[in-house]
Amino acid sequence: MRKLILLVLVTILSYELAPGQGLYSPGQPKDDGRFAASTKQVNQFFRRFNAEESVEGDKRYYEGDPLYRDRELRGKFISILFDNETSSINSDTKRQFLEEVLSENYPQFIHFHRDGWFAEVSAIFTHKGKRENVTLFLKIQPEGLGYEWVIDKVVFQPFKDIFKKPEGDAKGFLHPLSHELGFMNLRKAFQDSDTPEAYTPKEYNPDYLTLFLYEMKKGSIKFETINDVKFHFFQINNWYFELNQFNRPGNNTGWLIGNLVRLQPGDKESILRYIYDQK
Amino acid sequence: MKKYIPLFLLLFFATTAVSLAQSDNISPARKQAIDSLALEKVKDLSKYISIIGSKETQFSEANRVMDRAEELFAPGAEMGVSSLSRREIAYYKVRRYFERLMALNYDRVNITWYDIHYISDLERQPDGRYVGVVTVYQRFEGTSLESGLNYRDTTKKDITIYVEKKQTQITGRTIEFWDVMLGDIRVTETSA
Repeated sequence: MRKLILLVLVTILSYELAPGQGLYSPGQPKDDGRFAASTKQVNQFFRRFNAEESVEGDKRYYEGDPLYRDRELRGKFISILFDNETSSINSDTKRQFLEEVLSENYPQFIHFHRDGWFAEVSAIFTHKGKRENVTLFLKIQPEGLGYEWVIDKVVFQPFKDIFKKPEGDAKGFLHPLSHELGFMNLRKAFQDSDTPEAYTPKEYNPDYLTLFLYEMKKGSIKFETINDVKFHFFQINNWYFELNQFNRPGNNTGWLIGNLVRLQPGDKESILRYIYDQK
Repeated sequence: MKKYIPLFLLLFFATTAVSLAQSDNISPARKQAIDSLALEKVKDLSKYISIIGSKETQFSEANRVMDRAEELFAPGAEMGVSSLSRREIAYYKVRRYFERLMALNYDRVNITWYDIHYISDLERQPDGRYVGVVTVYQRFEGTSLESGLNYRDTTKKDITIYVEKKQTQITGRTIEFWDVMLGDIRVTETSA
């Protein structure tokens, strides 16, 4: 890893931009290598992970280029794509991940346009005049002549507080012969109970996104700002990783893997439930 | 506009160098030409920002430069600004951002740009236009002579670029070329 960082530094320090090719002109500040080493965009994370660009990031490799998806280059790139300062990913887990991703017979790559990755956006909205945290999950989908990000799910605590289906003795029900009475006892479900969700099937899940959009259309929820963004990846077989942005001094910065988990059967569903706050 | 003509021509030749059947796809050669044009526009923006921010720039000149700078942008473009102490994004219309920059209360302001940039791939959006992001780093130094205070920060600017195929008439012939407009800019204070 140190070798790659050194290589990036040496390359950048010896690299002179042609006039008119960038913003650089004599007297301007020179990057000491930190910005060059940083994974500056999610796009660069994809390119580095797949070895689809040069070490200094100025040349895009396409199919047919000698170093396109080069195994050795990928190994060096991926090893610098982990958060090495705050995350507790142990070296053995990293080694296993690298072995599987770089497998000679079945190398695995990440794909921008495919399923298996999505964004988690922490946002602030005002709800009835009060600032509230809202988590939005976005995914990329084909649309028209290209692609677009769309809101797939939303987590909003005030909605979760409203829908709390009672269990056991506390749960109301419509007795099994209600039909003989023409369901006259629905009055109890809708008028006498403050938990009408008790009368829904086991598989019922509130559609928070629809509610959220409805409230927004009514004007009771208004967008304020964005706090944070991260990405979840399930594209590598039997692995999950989280992509976070690290803004700090040093060379280990930008978009880096902040969490890495080997998946056992059933783990993906558990992790998704956890991410979507439906534990 | 005139200064971009050689680049437009370069883009035109890059366009005609590939198969016409793929005229809506962007080949690596064309992508490189588009990158050059995008960088030219980003370079112009950086120059304009330095002039607008400089205390030596007359008010009327700063306004003229703001007009020129605004012409680089697609309508409705916004700047989203966050700092190390405040992660929430504050939104400004491009013009408002320039006006705030001009009004900063320093006696001396020096805005410079690091010798590094990064250009993303171009992705096609639903309306057929292509979109990309150019990342550059800016150093800001402000000095207040009265208090003797110096303020310095380094910001990362992720600049949206929209790439669109357009047509123009030259001596009766219709020529297609690819144009680049700037869009929303995300400004993040870095720890550098």
